[in-house]
Amino acid sequence: MKRFLVKASIGAAGVLALLVPLQGCTDLAETPPSLISTSNFFTNEAEVLAALAGVYAQLRTTAPEGPLYDAIEMTTDEMVEPIRGPDWNDNGQWIDLHNMTWTPTSIATSNFFNPIWNNPYAGIARANLFLSAVQNTTFANKASIIAEVRALRAFYYYLLMDFFGGVPIVTTTEVAKHPRNTRREVFDFVEKELIAARDSGLPATRPVEDNGRFTQGGADAILANMYLNAGVFTKDGAAGGISATTYNSCAGVLVSGGVDACLAADSAATRLLNSPYYRLADSFPQNFRADNYKSPENIFVVKFIAADGLGLDYAMAILHYNQYAPLTPWNGFAVQAQTYRAFDSTGTPPDKRRNVILVGQQRDVLTGALVNDRSGSPLIFTVTIDSIRKATEATGARVYKWPVDPNHVSWNSGNDFAWFRLGEMYLIKAEVENELGNPATALQLLNALRARRDTVAPPLPAVSRPVILRERLFELLGEGKRRQDLIRFGQYTGRVDDPSLAGGKTARPDYYVLMPVPQSQIDANPRLCQNPGYGTGTCP
Amino acid sequence: MKIVRHLAPALVAGLFWAVPLGAQDSTGVIAGKVVDQTTQQPLANVEVAVPGTPLRDLSKNDGTFRLTGVHAGAQRLRATRIGYGSQFQAVTVTAGGASTVELSLVPAAAILEPVVVTGYGTQRREAITGSVSTVNADAANKGVTTNVDQMISGRAAGVDITADNGEPGAGRQVLIRGGSSIGVGGATNDPLYVVDGVPINNVPTEPQAMGVFGDPMLARNPLNLLNPADISSITVLKDAAATAIYGSRASNGVILIETKRGQTSGGPTFEYDGYVATASPAKYLDLLSSAEYVQYVRQQVAAGNLSDSALIHLGILVKTGPNPGDTSRVISNTDWDRAITRTSVTHNHNLAFSGGSEATRYRASMNYAKEEGVTLSTGLERIQGRLTATHSDLNGRLRIGVNVTTSRVNDTYLTYENQGGFQGGVFQNVVVYNPTLPITMTDSLGTHYYDPAGSVHNPVAMANQLIDIGHTTRTLGNASADFDVTPGLTARVNVGLDHSSGDRQEYYPNASPVGRSLGNGLAQQQNLDNATQTIQTQLTYQRQVGEGTSLDVVGGYEYSKFKSNWVQAEGIGFFTDAYGFNNLSAATTRNANDSAYEFRLASFFGRANVGFKDRYFLTGVVRYDGSSKFAVGHKWGLFPALSASWRLSQEKFLQGGPFSDLRLRLGWGLQGNPGVNPYTSQITLTSGSGATYPWGDVPHGGVIANSNGNPNLKWEQTSQVNGAVDFGLLSNRLSGSVEYYVKNTKDLLLTIDVPQPALAPQQLINVGKLHSSGVELSLDAVLVSHPGLVWRSGVVFAAERSKVTELATSTGFTTGAVSGQGQSGQNAERIFPGSPLGTFFGPVFLGVDNTGKQVFFCTSATTGCDTTAGPGNGRTTTGLAPNATDYRELGNANPDFTVGFHNQVTWGKFDISFLVRASVGAKVFNNTALVYSAKANAAHNENFLRPALTDPTGINEPAIFSSRWIESGTFARLQNITVSYDLDLPLLTRSARSARLYVSADNLVLLTGYSGLDPEVFSGTGTAVRGIDYLTYPRPRTITGGLRLMF
Repeated sequence: MKRFLVKASIGAAGVLALLVPLQGCTDLAETPPSLISTSNFFTNEAEVLAALAGVYAQLRTTAPEGPLYDAIEMTTDEMVEPIRGPDWNDNGQWIDLHNMTWTPTSIATSNFFNPIWNNPYAGIARANLFLSAVQNTTFANKASIIAEVRALRAFYYYLLMDFFGGVPIVTTTEVAKHPRNTRREVFDFVEKELIAARDSGLPATRPVEDNGRFTQGGADAILANMYLNAGVFTKDGAAGGISATTYNSCAGVLVSGGVDACLAADSAATRLLNSPYYRLADSFPQNFRADNYKSPENIFVVKFIAADGLGLDYAMAILHYNQYAPLTPWNGFAVQAQTYRAFDSTGTPPDKRRNVILVGQQRDVLTGALVNDRSGSPLIFTVTIDSIRKATEATGARVYKWPVDPNHVSWNSGNDFAWFRLGEMYLIKAEVENELGNPATALQLLNALRARRDTVAPPLPAVSRPVILRERLFELLGEGKRRQDLIRFGQYTGRVDDPSLAGGKTARPDYYVLMPVPQSQIDANPRLCQNPGYGTGTCP
Repeated sequence: MKIVRHLAPALVAGLFWAVPLGAQDSTGVIAGKVVDQTTQQPLANVEVAVPGTPLRDLSKNDGTFRLTGVHAGAQRLRATRIGYGSQFQAVTVTAGGASTVELSLVPAAAILEPVVVTGYGTQRREAITGSVSTVNADAANKGVTTNVDQMISGRAAGVDITADNGEPGAGRQVLIRGGSSIGVGGATNDPLYVVDGVPINNVPTEPQAMGVFGDPMLARNPLNLLNPADISSITVLKDAAATAIYGSRASNGVILIETKRGQTSGGPTFEYDGYVATASPAKYLDLLSSAEYVQYVRQQVAAGNLSDSALIHLGILVKTGPNPGDTSRVISNTDWDRAITRTSVTHNHNLAFSGGSEATRYRASMNYAKEEGVTLSTGLERIQGRLTATHSDLNGRLRIGVNVTTSRVNDTYLTYENQGGFQGGVFQNVVVYNPTLPITMTDSLGTHYYDPAGSVHNPVAMANQLIDIGHTTRTLGNASADFDVTPGLTARVNVGLDHSSGDRQEYYPNASPVGRSLGNGLAQQQNLDNATQTIQTQLTYQRQVGEGTSLDVVGGYEYSKFKSNWVQAEGIGFFTDAYGFNNLSAATTRNANDSAYEFRLASFFGRANVGFKDRYFLTGVVRYDGSSKFAVGHKWGLFPALSASWRLSQEKFLQGGPFSDLRLRLGWGLQGNPGVNPYTSQITLTSGSGATYPWGDVPHGGVIANSNGNPNLKWEQTSQVNGAVDFGLLSNRLSGSVEYYVKNTKDLLLTIDVPQPALAPQQLINVGKLHSSGVELSLDAVLVSHPGLVWRSGVVFAAERSKVTELATSTGFTTGAVSGQGQSGQNAERIFPGSPLGTFFGPVFLGVDNTGKQVFFCTSATTGCDTTAGPGNGRTTTGLAPNATDYRELGNANPDFTVGFHNQVTWGKFDISFLVRASVGAKVFNNTALVYSAKANAAHNENFLRPALTDPTGINEPAIFSSRWIESGTFARLQNITVSYDLDLPLLTRSARSARLYVSADNLVLLTGYSGLDPEVFSGTGTAVRGIDYLTYPRPRTITGGLRLMF
C-alpha cells in the first residue's frame, strides 16, 4: 500500500507538471534588448543629440569617396577611371559614368544615381523622424536644434535638386508614394527652410567643441550657391529652359521676396565675406590637411576623424598600391591631361594650386621614400592617358588634394571635406558681380583669392566668364563643384575628352544636364515620372 | 481564435481525470521464434506485439520471444522488423496456458522501420497519409559521415543536400522539394530540424569571421554536434499534410532525427566503431606552371603586349656574393594549389554501451573525431558524449526518459573569400600568385616566407600565419514523462534545452603583410551564446476498435523561447606577435561590439488519425502558432491540413493480383515560414559607427533608424497538395512510390525597394507568389535473395519545376553578385515573374572578334551596336558589355531532375554498398573562370587559368560576365562505395558478438562536363542565389578503413 502511495504521488506530480506550463506564456510582445524603439526615445537633450548625430552621419555618404562625389567628378573633365588590366572595369560603371552613356537602367544609374537618390533621402527621413518625434518633448536648446535639423534636411534636398531636378518634397514620416514636385518648388522649399533656420535658431558661430555643426554661415553659403545656379536650379531640364550650350545666368530669376537671384547671391556671399568668423586660410594646403578643422575658411564641412568607419578614405581611391604602406590603395581615379595642362595657361611657373596633382616619379606619401610599381620599375605617373580601356598601373596623374593623415587608423584619415569654404564665396561674388555689370569688383575679388599665400599666381589682367570658370577649376579642383559649374556655363554635355584619350567622352544630348530618375525608384514608386529624354514615363 | 488558446488547455486538463483504470482479466502466455523466410536463420530484434495493447517483446539473438499477460481468447500477433515486411498471425490464448508460435518474415525491398516518427508521436507505416521519407541508420550512407545530413544525401526523393564546400564540417544547403521561399537573408529555405522531439533553432553556433577578404567564410554546420553513430533514424516530412503539425516553421519541410536508445535484448552490449580516413583534393585548379608562365610573359613582351619590366618580375633576385652586383635571378616552380593542399588524415572513434533491465534502460556513448582538411590550417575536432536513459514504473504506466548530448567542437579555419573583391584570401592568391616565386627564401634574416607587402600575398604564408579558430560547446538535452491515464490515453510532457556557446579567435600578425596592413597586427575575440528552451505538453489517445479500425488523437501545447547574445572585442596595433589574440589590452586601439535578441513561439496543435478496416485512413491536423517576430495583430496564424489514404491492396477485388501492397494517398495543407529576424516589424534605432558623428573632432555616439518597420508584417504561407501511389509487388520484393505535388506560396517575405524618403532603402513586406510542382519516384527492390547472397537496390528520382508568379515590381530584381576584381556592381541572376529562382541573366556572348574583343548580342536601340548583319543579329562594337536592356535570360541553376541510386550486396561475409548521385540539366555560373581567365593578369605579374592560353580573347580584354561563363552542371558522382567483411577470427569471436572490417571510398568518381572544380556549388549569399561557383574550398576524395566491434 505504501508503495502504491509513492507511485501514485509520482503520477500526480507528473500530471501537475503537465498542468503548470499550460498557464504559461502566450504573451508575444517584443522589446528589443540592444535596439531602441522610437516610442521610448527623444526624452532628454542627450538622446536628442544622439539622434542629431545620426542625421549628420548621413553627410558622410555625400563626401569622397562615395557615389555622389564619384558621379560629380567622373562625369566632368576633372577625373576619369580608366580600366587598368583586370582591374576597374566593374561592369563598365566608370566608363558609363564618364562617357555619359547612362540610361535609367544602366550600370551608372544603378550603382551611382540610385544611391544618390537614396542617401540624401535617408538623411531626410531621419530628419523627418526627428522633427516629428520631438514635437511633444522638451529639452534644452530646442529651437536651435530644430533649426539645425531643418537646415540639414534642406541641404539633402539641395543635393537631390541638383542631380535630379524636381523630387517629392516630404516632411512626414510614413513610407508612401508621393509624386514629384517641380524643381522650382524644391528650390523654393530649400530656400525657405534655410532662411527660416538661419533667422530663427541657428547660431552665428559655434564653440570649438561643436566645430562641424550648422551655423548661419552654412545656410548663407548654400543659399549663395543656389542663387548663383538659379538659372539652372529653377528649370526642369534642357526641355524646361536650361541651356546646355550657353551660360545660364542667375540674372532675371526671381527668388524669395521678388529679388533677382544674382543680387540675392551677391548679398549672401557678401554676408560671409564680411563675417568676423571667416577669413582666407593662411595657406592653400591648410584647407585640406588632416588638421583642416582649424582652417578659418571652412563654412560647412563633412567631418572626418582618424577612427574606424569615421575617416576620409579618398586617398585609397587615387594612390598607387605601393604608395601608402602598409595599406594597399586601389590605384584608381586619374585626372585628365587637358585638366592638368589647363594650369599652364597661368604662366611659368604655373599656379601653385596645381601642386595638389601627383605626376611623375612617385613616393610613399608618408615616408617620402621612392616607390616602384608592382613590376619593380620606378613608379612614374604619366600626364596623358592613352586609352580609357587600356591603362597600366602608372597611367594618369592623380588629384591628391587631401593628404593622408599621419595618424590615420587603417584607411581612415581625419581631413574634413568642405562643401562650402570662403574661397568659393569670393568666386561666387566675383561671378555675380560680373553678371551684374561690375567686372572691376569681380577682378578685385579673383585677385584677392590669388594673393593668398601658397596660391601664388600672378594677378589677372581682366575678367570674363571663361576666366571665372577657369579660376573655379584651379581653386576648387576635386571639390565636387565642377558638374554644377559646367552645367551653368553650358559646357557639361558638350564637353569632350582630351583627343589623346582613346575611347573617351564625346558630345552628348542636352537632356543629360539632369540625371535620370533610376528605374528602380520608379518601380518602387510608380507616381514618379521620368526626366525628359530618358524614355517613357516623362513628367507632364 | 482567442478562445482556442483558453479552450485547449482546459480540454487537455479535463481529459486527465476522465477514465478510471480497467481491471485485469485472466491471461496466458505466447512464446515462439522468428526466422528469416529465405535463409531460415533466426532473427533478432523483431518486435512481436499484440496490437492495441502495450504487450510487446523483442526477439533475442536466437529468435525467441515471450509475451506474458495476454488476454485469453483469439489474438492477433504482429511481428515487425526493419528490412522485413510485417507479419500478422492469429493465436488462441487460454487462461493460464502457453501458446507457441513460429513466425517467418519476408525480406522487404526497402530497409524501413515499420513504425514512423511523424512529429508528436509515431504512426504505423501503413497508416501514414502524408509524404514522408525515412532513412534508417542501418541503411544510411556509409563512409566518412561527420554530420547527419550526409547520411541521407541521395537517399530521400526530393531532398537535395549540397555541402557548401569541401571544408571539414562544412555547412549544408538542404532544399526539400526545392524550398518554398525566396528567402530573406539567405537561410530561410532551411527545413526545421527536430531532434528527439525537440525543434532545434538551426542557426550558426560560432561567430562569423571578420571577413578581411570580402564576405567572411560560411558558417559550419550547426548540427556538427550530433554524432552520426548515435542516430537511429531520420525522417523527412515533405508535404503539408505531414508537416502541418509543425505549422509556422514547416513550409520548407521537417527533418526528424531520432537517436539510439538502450536495448535490453541479449543483455548489456558494448560497441566500438573506429576508422581512419585519408583524403586529398579530388581536383586541382588548372593554372599555368612556372615554365608556361615564363614562356607566356616572354612571348608577350616580344610581341609588345607587355612592357619589359614584366621580365624582371619573373622569379626573385638572390645574392650570390659579397659585392653589390653579385646577384642572380632564380625562377622557382611553385604550384600554389598543391602547396596549400595536402593529403589529410582523419580518425574517428565511437564507444557505446547499453543495457539495463526491463524497467530501466540506458545507452551511453562517446565520440572522438579529428578531421583534417585537405588544405593547410583547416580541421575539425569533436569530443562528444551522449547519455540516454528510460525508466518505466507503475506497471509500465509511467515512462520517463532523458537524453543529453554534449559536445565540444574545435574548428580551425583558413582565411578565404566566398565572394571576393579587390584583395582576396588564400584561394584567390592561389590562383594569381606568381608561379615563379618561391614559398620561402633565405637571406640575412634567415629562412622565412617570401611575402613582400602589396595587394597579393603568398597563400602558403597566409594559410600558416593568419590564425582563425573557433570552439563550440553545445548541449542538447530533453527530459520527458509519459503517463498512461487510462488504457489508450497518454499524457506527455517534454522539456528541452539547447544551449550553445561558440567563440571565435583571430589574429593577423605583424609577421604577415596582411596583418601589418590592418594596422600592425589585429586580434579579435568573439563569443556567441544561444539558448532555446522548449516545453511541450500533449495528450495522446489511441484506440483500436475491433478488426483494423483505429483512432489516434494528439493534442498539445508548445512554447519555446530563443535567446542570443553576441560580444566581440578587437585590438589593433601590437608591438609583438607573441600575445596572439590573448592580450587585447596590449593593443593601441581597441573596439568592442555586442548585441542581443530574443524571440518566442507559442503553439497549440491537434491531430486526429482515423483508420477503418485497415484500408481507409484519414488524418486532420490543426496548428495555431504565435510568433513574437510579427507585427502586433498579425502574430497568430492557423495552419490546417487534411489527408487520406486508401489501401487498395486490402480490397477484395485486388486480392490475388500482382500487388502485395497498393495505396493511394491524397493530402492538402497549409504551412508558414517565420524565417525573419526579430524586431523587423518595428522602427528601431541603432548605434554604431554609422550613427556616430565627430563634432569638434570628438566622436559623438548617435542613433539612426535602421529599419522602416512594417506594422503589417505577417507569415509567409505555403499551401501544398500532394498525391501519391505506394506499391509493393512480389511480396514486397519490389516496392516504391510515385508522388506528385503542387506548392503555392503567397505573401512571400521579401525585402523590396520602398518609395523615398525612407529610413532605409528597403523594407520587409509580404508580397509576391511562388508556384512549384514536382514528381518524386522511389523504387526499391530485392534483386537477388538467396541464402548467402542478397542484393538490394534502390532508386530515388525527383524533378521539380518552379517559378515566381508575382512580385512587387514588374521588373523583378537582380541578385547573385559577381565576385572578383573589376566586378563591382555586377549581378548574375534576376528574380522575375515567370522565371524560376536561380535564373541567370546577363549579356549573350557571341564570340571573340579578330582583334580579340568579346562580342555580345545587342539591339539597334542601344549605342555601340552594329546591326549590319540584319535585325535581331546585332553585335556590340565597344568591346564592353551591352546595355542592360540587351541582357537576356541565360538558363537557370535548377536541375531538370536528380537521381540517387543505392545498392547493397550481402555475399557471405562480405557486404558491398555503393551510392551514385546524379543531377541533370542545372546550369552553373563559373565565376572563377570569368575572373581568372583574364590574361591581363600577366601585366600585373599575376597568374591565370591555363585554358585562357588557347582562347583568342585579347590580353587587354576585361573580364565581362556573360553567357560565356554559364556552363552545364550535369554530373554523376560515385558518392560512396563501401566493402565490409564479417571477421571470423577465433580471437575476436570468442568474446565479440560481431566484428566487422570495412573499407570505404567517398567521391571516387565524378563524371561531368563542368570545367570548374565541382559542379555542386555553394549557392551564394544574398536573396535566393543559386549555382554560382567562386574559388571554393576543394572537395576531397576520401578513402576510409574501419573496424566495428560489438561485445
